[in-house]
Amino acid sequence: MSHPLEITNLVKRFGGLTATDDVSFHIEQGQSVGLIGPNGAGKTTIFSQIMGELRQNSGTIRLYGEDIGDLSTPARIRRGVSRTYQVPRPFGDMSVVENIRVGLMPDSIWKMITQGPDRDREIELALSVGFSENDLNRRPDELSMGDLRKLEMARTMATGPSVMLLDEVFAGLTKGEISQIGELIQQMRRDGMTFLIVSHDLGALEPLIDRAIAINYGSKIAEGAYADVISDPNVRSSYLGVA
Amino acid sequence: MGLRWYHFAMWAGFIALMYAMPELVSKGTLRTFIFANFLAVFAISWDVLSGRTGYISFGHPFLIGIGAYTTAILTKRFDVAIEISIPIAVVVTMIASTLFILPALRIRGSYFALVTLAFMELIYQLVQVIRPDLTGGTRGMSGIQTLTRGAVNGYYMSLSLMLAVAISMWLLMRTRVGTALSAIGMSEDSVLGSGLSTTRLKLFAFLTGAFVAGLGGAFYVHYLGSIAPRALFDINFVFTIIVAALIGGSSTIIGPMVGAFFLTYLLEYLRPYLPGAERYFIYGGIALLLYMYQPKGIYHIVMQAWERFKPGKSA
Amino acid sequence: MTQIIIQGLLLSGLYALIAMGFTLIFSIGRVLNLAYGAYLLIGGYVYFYFAQMMGMPKLVGVLLAVIVGAAMGLAKYRMIVKPLKGDHVAIEISTLILAIVLQSGVILAFGDSSKILLPIIPGVERLAGATIPYSNLLAAIVSWAILISLYFFVNKTHTGRAMQAVSMDAKGAAISGIDSDRINMITWGISGALGALAGVFFASYTQLTPSMWVAPLIISVAIVIVGGIGSIIGTLIVAHIIGFMEIIVTAMIAPELRGVFTMVLIIGVLVIRPQGLFGREEL
Ligand SMILES: Nc1ncnc2c1ncn2[C@@H]1O[C@H](COP(=O)(O)OP(=O)(O)OP(=O)(O)O)[C@@H](O)[C@H]1O
Ligand SMILES: [Mg+2]
Repeated sequence: MSHPLEITNLVKRFGGLTATDDVSFHIEQGQSVGLIGPNGAGKTTIFSQIMGELRQNSGTIRLYGEDIGDLSTPARIRRGVSRTYQVPRPFGDMSVVENIRVGLMPDSIWKMITQGPDRDREIELALSVGFSENDLNRRPDELSMGDLRKLEMARTMATGPSVMLLDEVFAGLTKGEISQIGELIQQMRRDGMTFLIVSHDLGALEPLIDRAIAINYGSKIAEGAYADVISDPNVRSSYLGVA
Repeated sequence: MGLRWYHFAMWAGFIALMYAMPELVSKGTLRTFIFANFLAVFAISWDVLSGRTGYISFGHPFLIGIGAYTTAILTKRFDVAIEISIPIAVVVTMIASTLFILPALRIRGSYFALVTLAFMELIYQLVQVIRPDLTGGTRGMSGIQTLTRGAVNGYYMSLSLMLAVAISMWLLMRTRVGTALSAIGMSEDSVLGSGLSTTRLKLFAFLTGAFVAGLGGAFYVHYLGSIAPRALFDINFVFTIIVAALIGGSSTIIGPMVGAFFLTYLLEYLRPYLPGAERYFIYGGIALLLYMYQPKGIYHIVMQAWERFKPGKSA
Repeated sequence: MTQIIIQGLLLSGLYALIAMGFTLIFSIGRVLNLAYGAYLLIGGYVYFYFAQMMGMPKLVGVLLAVIVGAAMGLAKYRMIVKPLKGDHVAIEISTLILAIVLQSGVILAFGDSSKILLPIIPGVERLAGATIPYSNLLAAIVSWAILISLYFFVNKTHTGRAMQAVSMDAKGAAISGIDSDRINMITWGISGALGALAGVFFASYTQLTPSMWVAPLIISVAIVIVGGIGSIIGTLIVAHIIGFMEIIVTAMIAPELRGVFTMVLIIGVLVIRPQGLFGREEL
């Protein structure tokens, strides 16, 4: 039985800096895993390698058993993995529905031309992440940080993933927005989505995950149940002054 | 494609007005209109390639020139029929545009703009030294077969070309591919993150832009009957094309058309006062002010007013 | 052979000077300032106006050119670059428009025809069969002097190091209390002054025409990028590669092909090694 996501001995160097240092882990079907670590630990770098935006120096990345380490980003997305960005990157001159439209597009220029957009699906996705009817034609510069993160979620969901990587989903959000997005993730977990979630807000993260992985200076320092990971002496010292 | 009645009404009204133009204005004005039509074609082409994707080409005359030189050489030196040489010119231009894609895969922003400028400078140097017996060297070529005689016919020809290009690009860019190209200009990473091959999209933009540029260049040289490298591969020409696209309104089709007519008119209006290249002083000054005031162009200013009383306010 | 070496050194020195003002802006703002070419143009014409038409002392002419260049740099930063807040596309396009406006302004004021600048120092020196005009020699000496002082300014003075800090990380620099606006002003001013000075020398090397700015602009941008952004040494090396290549092509292959080789080198390096030959690995 192959896992949705399995990473083995992943290494990424930036010049002299080893940003990912021999990291291995896997996620089981329908599981939600938290990826924690202090600033600069290398969390985002792992996401970028899974998505193929950065090329690993060595190690393998498997999606449902298939080695995707050499595929292009769109090819990986077609196989069912998708991510959100720590800093939302919406299409600035497009409305909420148009942003989602890009996520829904097939990777075929011919189909883009000959088939019109699926407006019902666009609206359905927008509403499912918590936008209201009035928000549909808003532009990113009129949206709050919470709305931008919702938009990022919707566009990511539009690619039809079965494994989602969420980078700092709660950063910059109000309490209300945090619980709204938390609820959305819970809903998707019930529907069988597999998650890897990065968050500095451990309180908000805890109820959303089945277990946690901690990294520091690019290496995995702990893995297991959230409570065990968070009380691990190595993890505690890596967070010293932060938590 | 979400076409509405007022789209048809506006196009029909515009087309009717444009075809009636020879009855309404003098021959001299008509010649101005001919240039505006060609400029609109070039500006639309630039906008498809650069305006949407954000890969700013400062070397657009490179593409136009390849189309123009190909058909000029084929017809004049090898007696190829125009009906054959123009399609060949378009294909050659599209092939040449793939030279642009190479840098566009690796570099972004300012670097790309620079490479395209270098491409234009390179071809300017090349046509003068490589096989001047074919290209006419520094002096260029004259006596190239023309498609039309007289201002009125020239006008109808340029207008038909411009309308064909404008309407087909308008329809194409209304589809999702237009949205995707604009998305590249806003955030290329997110387009990739949406599972779309940006390489393929950029290639599509370049080929489409080159198709229009090659077509426009070929028709233009068969309208003028001559070609001069200094006037063609000229920074002033680059400037005129880009400003037409931007002043009118980038990422639209109407915008570059409006910009082309606005600028051609301005240039013509200034002629009695400033006969030579110094016209660009005022022309550029106005362009700079307009651009700094509203980078999205005249189209955007008008659209904001239009939004207020649009028929059937639904979408 | 000696001829080639001497000519090569002279031309390379000139190119290095032209590129230097550009590298300052490019490394700080990462913007392609197309109007940089216009500094050369304005510098050349200001010198021509005061020193040749008004008959002022040549040194005064050079000084005025430098002052006008610096003022232009400052004005451009204030009026165009700053309001556009780092929007690269908008800055590139508006500096292109500005360059065209200035070019046509020059045509308006001085006409379309080319002008010959009288050499700053008349006379030639003969050395091993090579003829060296004094003003070309002066240009090379001045550019070396400026390069060396710039190198020390950027690396050794407080302001220079602040400039480096802003170029590497504007936010970080702001946190450590550097007034990046002031640093930007200084940089744009110096860049304008250097451009205008280079324009005086460049115009006396070739001739003064309203379109004389395009080729040196492309060459200087290329030198900066090929040399690696922010690397003064890299700029220097590449200026010599291009300078010597042009002289060798002119002398040994064909003078008409001079520009072709330069453009091919630029395109080639940008496509194959976009971070430049000696630069930091990032874009
Ligand atoms: N493109 C890059 N080039 C060089 N170094 C990089 C690059 N991207 C990241 N780094 C470095 O790699 C390390 C890991 O960065 P990464 O962004 O993965 O950390 P992170 O855990 O996501 O941090 P944060 O919590 O701040 O988001 C950092 O030291 C960072 O400076
Ligand atoms: Mg991160």
